[in-house]
Amino acid sequence: MDVGQGLIAIGAGIAMLAGMMTGFGQGYAAGKAVEAVGRNPEAEGKIRSMLILGAAIAETAAIYGMLIAFVIIFVL
Amino acid sequence: MIGNITIQIQAEVISIVIVTLLLIVFALVVNYKIKHADPLEKPKGIVLFATMIVEMLSKLTKENINHKSAPNYAPYIAVLTLYLLVSNFSGLVGLSQPTKNYSVTLTLALITFVLIQRASIKSVGVLGYIKSFFDPHPVFFIMNFFSKIAPAISMSVRLFGNITSGSIILLLVYGFTAYLSGFFPIIGNINFIGPFIAPFLHFYFDLFVGAIQMFIFISLTTVFIGNEFAQ
Repeated sequence: MDVGQGLIAIGAGIAMLAGMMTGFGQGYAAGKAVEAVGRNPEAEGKIRSMLILGAAIAETAAIYGMLIAFVIIFVL
Repeated sequence: MIGNITIQIQAEVISIVIVTLLLIVFALVVNYKIKHADPLEKPKGIVLFATMIVEMLSKLTKENINHKSAPNYAPYIAVLTLYLLVSNFSGLVGLSQPTKNYSVTLTLALITFVLIQRASIKSVGVLGYIKSFFDPHPVFFIMNFFSKIAPAISMSVRLFGNITSGSIILLLVYGFTAYLSGFFPIIGNINFIGPFIAPFLHFYFDLFVGAIQMFIFISLTTVFIGNEFAQ
């Protein structure tokens, strides 16, 4: 293994740091959703679909990072 | 090879043909069943399924696009959801998903981009559209320009990234299980550990992510179009 391949591995690892705060953000959103269901149990279907939509949009940045990491590993 | 010309067909092209044939067969079967159905009884079976799909998508389109021309967009949204749903699920049967190719997702996002610009022009007119590049101050031109392009790029990369990453992770898992089953002497030539571990990952990466990304794509399309009409 030469230095080039090691640097590619480090680059892919740094690219995955983009997913650092998505866990925190989506967990917070899930907590707020559970609280909202507790306050108003009838609107559970709407709250659930809105939670899934918001969480998947917030996950976009982490997916960009994973895509860049895969491109770095497999193409460079 | 035709003469001196080598033609390469990507694997996703064959998947697109198969997905389209499946959707055509589904549409023909539903058409036949609806023509021979009794309008006074309750629908059941595949007619009920088709009725539920149409109702759900009409409601979603009309809620997000609060305008009188909302029913015109509903057929495009319906085609988009069926196409994306069947494409994303085709990873289960071993096809290479069409949305794994950036050209497919970029095309769908560009169609949405054209629809958004057309909705904006219909809502405020051509002069209002050009003026929207320059408010609140002409110095904001680059920012307004990019904020019109950004939805198209982000929708296409989101769909492409989710499906491609899922398929690469499954490829790596199958490779690892093939390496592990190579240690067994006779039956190790076929990858027999893979089918024990992979179904759980298939359930998440193919079914769950595929359905959610389809839902997000159509929701974002209708919300962006509705935003233009709200002004």
